[in-house]
Amino acid sequence: MVSRAAAAIRTRPRREREAEVLVWPDLVFIEFISALIFSIALMVLSAMVNAPLLNRADPDTTPNPSKAPWYFLNLQELLLHMEPAWAGVIVPTIALVLLAAIPYWDRDTEGQGVWFGTKFAGRLTVFGFTAATLITSLLIIWDGSLHVVWTENVIRGLGLNSDFTWPGGLDWFRNLRGFDTGIPWDSLGFTIGGFTMFEDWRAIPLGIPGTTTDPWLLNLNFPSFLSQQIIPVATMVGLPVLFVLFCKGLGWIHSRRDIALLIFSAFIGVYLTTTIVGTAFRGQGQDLKPPWDIVVLEE
Amino acid sequence: MANLERAPRKSFNDLIYDLIFKNYVWQSIFRTGYPNTPRNQMLAVATNVFLHLHPTRIHRTHVKITHTYCLGGLSFFMFLGLTVTGVLLMFYYVPSIERAYQDIQELEANVRFGQLLRNMHRWMAHAMIILVLLHMMRVFYTGAYKPPREFNWVVGVVLFILTLLLSFTGYLLPWDQLAFWAITVGTTMVGSAPVLGDESKFLLLGGFSVGPNALIRFYTLHVIGLPLVISIFMAVHFWRVRRDGGLARPL
Repeated sequence: MVSRAAAAIRTRPRREREAEVLVWPDLVFIEFISALIFSIALMVLSAMVNAPLLNRADPDTTPNPSKAPWYFLNLQELLLHMEPAWAGVIVPTIALVLLAAIPYWDRDTEGQGVWFGTKFAGRLTVFGFTAATLITSLLIIWDGSLHVVWTENVIRGLGLNSDFTWPGGLDWFRNLRGFDTGIPWDSLGFTIGGFTMFEDWRAIPLGIPGTTTDPWLLNLNFPSFLSQQIIPVATMVGLPVLFVLFCKGLGWIHSRRDIALLIFSAFIGVYLTTTIVGTAFRGQGQDLKPPWDIVVLEE
Repeated sequence: MANLERAPRKSFNDLIYDLIFKNYVWQSIFRTGYPNTPRNQMLAVATNVFLHLHPTRIHRTHVKITHTYCLGGLSFFMFLGLTVTGVLLMFYYVPSIERAYQDIQELEANVRFGQLLRNMHRWMAHAMIILVLLHMMRVFYTGAYKPPREFNWVVGVVLFILTLLLSFTGYLLPWDQLAFWAITVGTTMVGSAPVLGDESKFLLLGGFSVGPNALIRFYTLHVIGLPLVISIFMAVHFWRVRRDGGLARPL
């Protein structure tokens, strides 16, 4: 510990007095002005826009849609696509731990103190952010079955087949839940030594009885185990790996810093997309809707 | 010739200046005059209780707005503003389900600048979350988490979580439909945690659903518990910025 700290100090350059400025007045002035600008801007905003206040809280009247505060709507959005334990707790916990762990993994002191300090940093940032935003949007559209609605509308609209509905053979491709209902799992089941797949799947003792009202750590009920856990987790792990391999193939990645730049930018893309979709594009029953069609009903 | 030896006559501006800044009371508060020399300017920073968080000199590149965009400082400024408006709001608010909603209504209708006060508190809270997020992005993209600043990045992540929790606990207090159901949705997510989900949710709410116990718990956490914790982490955060050699810069 001492030697590492000493090494860090040793690598620090000697102080160049002529390159330094005095905190008073140079920095204090900037701080004062920025505080002033923000005070005025927030004062003006507060004079123009009132904080919302709805009716008094009533446990018997549920608004539809009910939404968490906007900064948790990314998690509420995840909730629609996977097991609640993953969306609400495990994924954010892992994300925060990985975020905190970045400096312990990327220890190279090169390229610090300047914006986008590596050669391909700009490309990695733009690619990571854009690709993640695009893929997340497509996944949300797909799981919201919008591709089904759009395909039906286009084929009917073109007059090719006025009664066209999504083919039953493609039911498994409607959305994530389609994997549960669209595939005949019972006929695919098999038996090994008295253990019948998939009926006996739940008998696997994965949980600590007595710790919760439900003795299961996670719901092992097949096939929802596949659609609500295996596929989402595989997507969340697999896509970043693919991103890294792709950029490595392009020759953009030369250090851990480059990988961190790519994944962090992709994370920001996902974070923003899920927050915006959760805030502005989820209507009654959490259906995907354009913002102008969203009405809150009290039921 | 005689004119040159006489002291120049004081202008009107000088008279006003002396009247304000060179009297007994002013000089008892500000022991020295305006720091005009580099030495006095460094002393002004080092000996002032509010300014001494700063070093006395910093590198030229660090006063460039585009290097930091002041995001960390502004996050802290939001915290200060929220503390001031929050204390004022506490004068008018009682955290019981009988009074909470009514208190907010009366604050908006009957208290002079009450609506403005509440608006300021809410928009500053939102601004703080956005600023903290942007500050984190700035630190990441400038590579400022690298050694020897690893631990301060971790402290920063903790501060981000505490900021979210502060905002979340404050969200319930108006006790309107928005607050009630947002917290219901949020705490249901906590309840879905494996192993200790239900227990954590019960601990947070003081019951099985959002009610009077939840309100007093959220209120206490919001006005004293979390602010104390976040103050400690902020103190460490700022201290480590100085200890780790100020802002990061190329080797």
